[in-house]
Amino acid sequence: MFNGIQRKLLASVLAVTATVLLFANPALAAGEVTISHYFTGSLGRAGLEDIFAQFKKQTGITVKDSPIGHEDFKTGILVRAAGNDLPDVFSYWAGARTQFVADSGHLHPIDDMWKREDLGDIIAKPIAEGATLYNGHRYLVPFGYHYVGVFYNPHVMKKAGIKEMPKTWDEFKAMCAKLKSQGITPIALGSKNRWPAQFWFDYLLLRTAGPDYRADLMSGKASYTDPQVEKVMGLWKQLIDAGDFAPNSNAATWTDAADKVARGDAAMTLMGTWITGYWNNNKLEPGKDYEFFAFPTVTDGVPKAALGPVDGLVISKNANNVAGAEKLLTFMVANPGVQAKWASIQGALSANVKVDSSKYTSVMRHALKVIQNSDAFAFNYDLATPPPVAEVGLSMFAEFMNDPSGYKEMLKQTQAGASDAFAQQ
Amino acid sequence: MERHTRFWQCALLALPLLVFGVLVVWPLLSSFYYSFTNWNGFNPHYQFVGFGNFARIFTDHLFANAIINTAIWMAAAIIVPTCLGLGLALLIDSRVPGGAIFKSIFYLPICLSAVVVGQIWVWIYQPDWGLLNTAMSAVTGQPESYAWLAKPDTALYAVIIAWSWQQTGLAMVIFLAGLTAIPHDLLEVCELEGTKFRQRVWHVILPLLRPATVVVVALSVINSLKGFDILYIMTGGGPFHSSDTLAMHMYNESFKKYHMGYGSAISVVLFLIALSIIFIYFRQLKKVDEIYE
Repeated sequence: MFNGIQRKLLASVLAVTATVLLFANPALAAGEVTISHYFTGSLGRAGLEDIFAQFKKQTGITVKDSPIGHEDFKTGILVRAAGNDLPDVFSYWAGARTQFVADSGHLHPIDDMWKREDLGDIIAKPIAEGATLYNGHRYLVPFGYHYVGVFYNPHVMKKAGIKEMPKTWDEFKAMCAKLKSQGITPIALGSKNRWPAQFWFDYLLLRTAGPDYRADLMSGKASYTDPQVEKVMGLWKQLIDAGDFAPNSNAATWTDAADKVARGDAAMTLMGTWITGYWNNNKLEPGKDYEFFAFPTVTDGVPKAALGPVDGLVISKNANNVAGAEKLLTFMVANPGVQAKWASIQGALSANVKVDSSKYTSVMRHALKVIQNSDAFAFNYDLATPPPVAEVGLSMFAEFMNDPSGYKEMLKQTQAGASDAFAQQ
Repeated sequence: MERHTRFWQCALLALPLLVFGVLVVWPLLSSFYYSFTNWNGFNPHYQFVGFGNFARIFTDHLFANAIINTAIWMAAAIIVPTCLGLGLALLIDSRVPGGAIFKSIFYLPICLSAVVVGQIWVWIYQPDWGLLNTAMSAVTGQPESYAWLAKPDTALYAVIIAWSWQQTGLAMVIFLAGLTAIPHDLLEVCELEGTKFRQRVWHVILPLLRPATVVVVALSVINSLKGFDILYIMTGGGPFHSSDTLAMHMYNESFKKYHMGYGSAISVVLFLIALSIIFIYFRQLKKVDEIYE
């Protein structure tokens, strides 16, 4: 009944299986470094490919990259960690997220590499300690960092007769009122993916309760039902109730909000410096078509903190090519040319102090100056608190933007969720 | 000879069974296993918590919310495409002009992936320039900018409409196939006896369409249980959990909050619900078979 055809079929199936297993063996690919990152599309993929080509030319090592969209990356990389299938190198956000992965033992410490390459003299001091050290070891190399500021359209401000940007909360509210009186929506926010709303919470908390209290809240030592947090939500609610935000913020993405400001449909948006990369790609001119001002002072005497994320590169513990991975990390951060190129493509500030800041745009030079004059540099909310807690908080911010009236109840629920998440850590 | 045949049967079945075991059975058993742990999804260290995750289900208000949404989702996913599909099938079967073209047009969405359908409807619902608000503005003369997917009152129903738009074509085609099996002589006799169209549908066509209806309903239930992708694309379970179904809640707990143990417990509950539905389906299928035997 079973003749030669069946035998051939079975043999073919076994041969295909063997071939797949043979080529799937990563040990065969020692001349390459695998990397996964979230710099897709306009976030700089093409530029990164050029940098990888340059790395291959210099070292002979091929970089095999597998980029994943920014939002999907957050989940995707942890799924790969769960399956012990991490690439040699992956991009990650410094702060609580890296701490979370480091705690699980999935990262390779780079203390030796750090000393060998003198990275302590290369990495910008404001971010070096907070971004690279976890549980007493260095795990992350900062690849670039960003500053969150109030980005505005100068043409709109000029049209509304606003010459001076606000330095205090009262001045800020007065500016919003003036814009509205001219029929201009003051603030665009694209909180569809929730995280853009966090910057309002971050800055209001930093400017009222200060960086130390915020650090306590992020680590679970303080409560979301504290009067300090209630005050923040109250101030934020004042803006929403006054109609200062464009409607339907939960239906828009951060690029929708950026487009609104660029078109002049709204005057400003609170966003990170990656918005400059987006606008530059859309042929907007820094300083002429867009500018920014630092988030205003709310309570006098509170240390002035700058806010933003640090993009970094880490090596996985089970990396097949640790030596190649370390070479790649060193190349990416220690080479001023690569850093300058990346900063320009992405609208980021370079983590390498040897990069000539005169090559930045006027807006990025302004951002660097603000950071240098700040008392502290804080990671934004979803990078400052553990991911399970951030998940609870981010949902609360979106709910708050929809209807802020019940914020005290929302804070109680958030505290319950946060306590639960901290307890399960 | 018999032994030889048995050997080859086993040999050729081994690989598919291995694939099925690795891709279906093993993850299923793993879910059961992890549902009794507090594993966060990627840390090698975890503890057994007994039935703690299952007990937690009873105090989780988001789980209760997801159960209600799943019930609404499944009920709508069965009723809306089935009724619309039946209506369209009857209309096309009544030899309306251009019936064949309409049949192709209505069937077209089922050829698209749920991700594509979801993205099309995200654009339709876009508040500022979406087709829906633009059409409403044209009709009412008032500017409309309602954010259908960003408001908790409408998000789930907006996704249900998109889902029904896709699934109706499948129901229509199955009903059309069922209608062709009904003898035309029987319908002509009914007509000669002076019955009205409504009476013919209710007393003749619908009872004879029972096998097709069982298939349509079963497929609707199975597809609705799988209906994760369109929700993920259109709302991601939001805004703030208002369109969370059990599958979405399981995903959020497992992959966003890193409560893999608890997420596994939710998946076990979802599995048991699916199993019950499939059991009911096979019983119904058996009854239909008995009618025709």
